[in-house]
Amino acid sequence: MPLFQLNAFKRAALGALLLAALGPRIASATLGEPEVTVQTDVARAHASIKSSQDRASYRVHEIQLPSGTVMREFVAPNGNVFAVAWQGPTRPDLRQALGQYFDTYAFAPRSKLADRRHVQIQQGDLVVQAGGHMRALSGRAYLLSAIPSGVNVGDLH
Amino acid sequence: MVSRRALHSGLILALALSAIACGGGGGGQAVSPPPPPPPPANNVASVIIDQGPSNASVNTLFTSVTVCVPGSTTSCQTINHIQVDTGSYGLRILGPVLTLTLPVETLAGGNSLAECTQFVDGFSWGPVVSADVQIAGETASSLPVQVIGDSRFTNIPATCSGTGGTQEDTVASFGANGILGIGPFELDCADCDTVARLYYSCATTCSETTVPTNLQVANPVTRFATDKNGVIVVLPSVAAGGAANVSGSLIFGIDTQSNNQSGTQTVLTVDSNAELLITFNGQTLANSFIDSGSNGIYFNDSSISKCVAPANDPSSQIVNFYCPPNTLSLGLSIQGMNGVMANNLTFGVGNAQTMLNGNFDAFPQLAGTNPNTGSFDYGLAFFYGRRVAVAVENAKTSVGTGPYIAF
Repeated sequence: MPLFQLNAFKRAALGALLLAALGPRIASATLGEPEVTVQTDVARAHASIKSSQDRASYRVHEIQLPSGTVMREFVAPNGNVFAVAWQGPTRPDLRQALGQYFDTYAFAPRSKLADRRHVQIQQGDLVVQAGGHMRALSGRAYLLSAIPSGVNVGDLH
Repeated sequence: MVSRRALHSGLILALALSAIACGGGGGGQAVSPPPPPPPPANNVASVIIDQGPSNASVNTLFTSVTVCVPGSTTSCQTINHIQVDTGSYGLRILGPVLTLTLPVETLAGGNSLAECTQFVDGFSWGPVVSADVQIAGETASSLPVQVIGDSRFTNIPATCSGTGGTQEDTVASFGANGILGIGPFELDCADCDTVARLYYSCATTCSETTVPTNLQVANPVTRFATDKNGVIVVLPSVAAGGAANVSGSLIFGIDTQSNNQSGTQTVLTVDSNAELLITFNGQTLANSFIDSGSNGIYFNDSSISKCVAPANDPSSQIVNFYCPPNTLSLGLSIQGMNGVMANNLTFGVGNAQTMLNGNFDAFPQLAGTNPNTGSFDYGLAFFYGRRVAVAVENAKTSVGTGPYIAF
């Protein structure tokens, strides 16, 4: 069997194991969830992890989506995702990435001064900030209570 | 010295000779001079800043657009309060205000084409239709146009609503009867012909698809018969405290007619995201842009007081706007990707709460924080008191090649 097929087989087997281990978690998603759900995001989006870096007080996975958008998921020392950020021509699947927090974001009261260029939502523990314009959208969502100490929110992009 | 009369006779003789030469012995056809060139198109549309159809808009520029069933001169509808947006691409009309039935574009294989447009704060779903679009005296024939909130396309795909934000498919939620995206590019998606995103192929259900560029929603200006290389927005100065019902002009074409000459404008080219560099407070912000579709001046300066939410509306987003006790005058410089600088520009920041307590809708000093810390978003206020040209990609004018912004 050629090497690349073996690798593909191993990857698939690994993916199946991972999904099996996740069990009912698959329906939920990443923000506020354990780091393994990063893999769920990647698998569901047919994406690839470009890099995973350990920084002083968190780990960040950079995910390249087929749409051209880059998504970053930030993992706290306790193993939970505390922030996600995106930049590119379209938003990622935020229903997947925000999980239980998605509805809070999607149905937040709309600003009377909304202009299709800015989002600044704070609802309970969830903060969503987004900016840009057509063909270049960026943003981030994070959980206030889950930010590890010493992290500058401005670095989460 | 040759008299004018002799010149005139000579011209007639030359015309007669050429008619004989070209006539090929056709047998006594009358000699007629060549037809005069058609008069230049009326390339000026009126624009206005008012509270719009939602009665809540601020710093929002509107115009009127006429859409017709392709090929028809009678099945037409003129729609007012279409937002003029130099930060997006393509014409989108709210389904609830459209009384015409415009044909839906079909993909090879016969499926209908629909789009999930993503704005920063939400999404707008609906079919892509074909329309002859008229603005002032300009026409774009068989232009792909999106109808948002079309009653024929009510099932929003999960991959569309999953991008989140507000579903903007009513006049109230959209704040306009439509939007006219006339930024410096042709298409609303740079590579949707090869990457399946935003566009959907619909039969009984809809799924994401690639789409040929000729079916994509496009900046109508780039499809006009004439005056198609860009636009010039001309707005008067507005008093610091604001004004109501400010009106101005949207001129089509750059250096194509006597009323759209470039003169000595400063030309700042923009990158593939229509962005340029703005330096403010010693920081150069790489994701900056000038945009008629932004209703404020959005930048970050922690030294300026922010507004406080009123007691009866504790979750008000006014807290993201600036409320200095006294009006501030601040400076910035803008650099194009071509290296050209516009230095020492000034802008004012007033008290947003005070402004919004009144009945005005045009505010040159309405400013707020920018959720993107690497961006200075200079909105419609930039256009007040200026003549701002937006040249589309690859457009050649007397002062440069698009995409650029000049003023």
